[in-house]
Amino acid sequence: MTDHSRDVAIVAVSQTPAYEAFAGPEPVLIMRCVNDLLARTGLERHDIDFTLAGSCDYLSGAPFAFVMNIDGVGAWPPVYESHVEMDGAWALFEAWIRLQLGDIDVALVIGSGRSSPGNNREIFALQGDPYLTAPLGLDPASLAGIQARALLDADLATEADFAAVVERSWKAAADNPNAMVRRSDSADQLLDQPYYAAPLRAHDVAPVADGAAALLMVAGDRARELCERPAWIQGIEHRIESHHPGFRDLTDSPSTRSAAEKVGGGGTFDVAELMVAHSHEEIILRRALGLGDDTVVNPSGGPLGGHPVMATGLVRVIEVASRIADGSAQRGLAHASSGACLQQNLICVLQGDD
Amino acid sequence: MLPDVDLLLEYPYTRTTGPVLGQFLTGLRDGHLLGIRNGDEVLCPPLEYDPATAQALDSELVEVATEGTVTSWTWVADPTSTHPFDHPFAFALVLLDGTDHAMAHAVDAGSIDDMSTGMRVAVQFHEERTGSITDFHFVPLDRAHAVDIGAGAEGAEPVTDIVQLIALNYHEPLHAHRARAAQALLDGRFIGQRSPASGKVYVPGRGYDPLERVEMGEDDELTVADRGTVTSFTVITPVDYYGQKETNPYIRASILLDGSDSPLISVDIRNLEEEDIRVGLRLQAVWRPEGERDLTGIDNRSVPLEGVIERWDPTGEPDADANKLREFTQ
Repeated sequence: MTDHSRDVAIVAVSQTPAYEAFAGPEPVLIMRCVNDLLARTGLERHDIDFTLAGSCDYLSGAPFAFVMNIDGVGAWPPVYESHVEMDGAWALFEAWIRLQLGDIDVALVIGSGRSSPGNNREIFALQGDPYLTAPLGLDPASLAGIQARALLDADLATEADFAAVVERSWKAAADNPNAMVRRSDSADQLLDQPYYAAPLRAHDVAPVADGAAALLMVAGDRARELCERPAWIQGIEHRIESHHPGFRDLTDSPSTRSAAEKVGGGGTFDVAELMVAHSHEEIILRRALGLGDDTVVNPSGGPLGGHPVMATGLVRVIEVASRIADGSAQRGLAHASSGACLQQNLICVLQGDD
Repeated sequence: MLPDVDLLLEYPYTRTTGPVLGQFLTGLRDGHLLGIRNGDEVLCPPLEYDPATAQALDSELVEVATEGTVTSWTWVADPTSTHPFDHPFAFALVLLDGTDHAMAHAVDAGSIDDMSTGMRVAVQFHEERTGSITDFHFVPLDRAHAVDIGAGAEGAEPVTDIVQLIALNYHEPLHAHRARAAQALLDGRFIGQRSPASGKVYVPGRGYDPLERVEMGEDDELTVADRGTVTSFTVITPVDYYGQKETNPYIRASILLDGSDSPLISVDIRNLEEEDIRVGLRLQAVWRPEGERDLTGIDNRSVPLEGVIERWDPTGEPDADANKLREFTQ
């Protein structure tokens, strides 16, 4: 949506490193981010009007884990809060809508997850149709392999293109203190690796991590009081496609394109952070968004450098917002995705003050 | 040495099929593959609605061919426990002859070298069929073999629901503070964590103070008493559900140990009757003998105290003032 009544900006961001296995409770991950945000802005807990978190109980196998997570936000005396069983990027979307109502000004948005206890491939197979695909254990990595092959068969990419995405992502991740992957294999070396979900190799699949991310968003002039260079949300929207993979054109992402059109996604971007959970998705997303060479894509390394499930999408927003805050970017696009084969896509366009 | 946490999480779901998927699954059980008409198109798997316009479709299904063409595929070299085969196989999109959208399913091809886009495959029905998408898989066309599908299904009722048992396995070490608290229980004592910010003592410690938002560690730990006061209780009458082991009513109590500011919750009480328990009652833990203490089932969320504590005996002391316990009863 671009036609909105209130300007809202991201004024502070925080994220934990992406951990292969965090040896502690999920609320601690959240607590570290929340305390960091409060310290950065000088706000007290009671200054936050609305708290909204995205997480998934299945990751660590703890029913009502999302309720325990409230321990991390400082929820006593009781606070006004809500939860989405989705990536924190969708919590951001809901918080942004809530701020449009005009009666409150400050929202805390969180995304978090501890995937290390579980089997990601088995858990996310349950996202599929419960009658037709979940009983087969048809998992996102396998569906990603099917989508990648559709790209190859349509001559829209080669396996070398997939490897090039990984090589460049890992190179960028080397400069990101929060990334998990510390490798610098060349594309040629990567192509020597065995298949994992052919034609994808293990490195083409973003490595699942434990972690949390959070941000503070503030409406109106108050944002400028709290932050020297707020990242204004110019537009935010999401769109979804069929959950039957056979009913989609897997070589394209029309939901990404229509969400971007809705938020004025044209024009140039200094930076784009894309939720590339499988290397070939970057190729699809670049085409759907019409990104040119003048846009730096995934300077953080993106999810291929570390994928803290349920925070990964919100981290994309944070990476763009922090580049606007430090002046290295003026206008940026953040993308988050949910479901198999880029089924659902969210686009958030951020802009700094002139 | 305390073992890692191994948790099996199960959710049994029973889902109604609705008219369209019900016919489809009944067809599979009876050895037929059915699709649905959508204008000039035939959709298999069938949907209740036109995927583009959301218009309801005529729920009369039509038989479709059991042969088709692979439009894309991947190779599962290392199957998980929820995959349909325990040997390598392909997941593929298969466009059945005469239909207009591909179906996602498994192809048992034997080798990745036998898979290719455009290859011809056929439905292989299983001998045992229950009305499930797993009643068949695809095979390369020349490898399909005939299955006697006549008997058994005849006269059977239409499929109207499916049972889906979700079973997920989790494995992780105990968090460090949990491991220390568990070891203390095996040694016959409770330890808690004292908040460096507020001085409040949490039993068991969570590794942090949720009110003050500070992390807590070994330096914040202390032993608390193994006697305390009932702050709340409930009598649970078991209802039957998947996994239920209880048959008779039982008591679960919250107990505020002396020296603690947070009650142990959901403590299993078996040696008292409903009329013997009340808020304010003083109880003493009676530990199992040292060699018999067992923390099987402990995880990073809950501690099965009944493995280390045999029972909770009333101490005979006067009751604590229930009014002063109100903050713990909510």
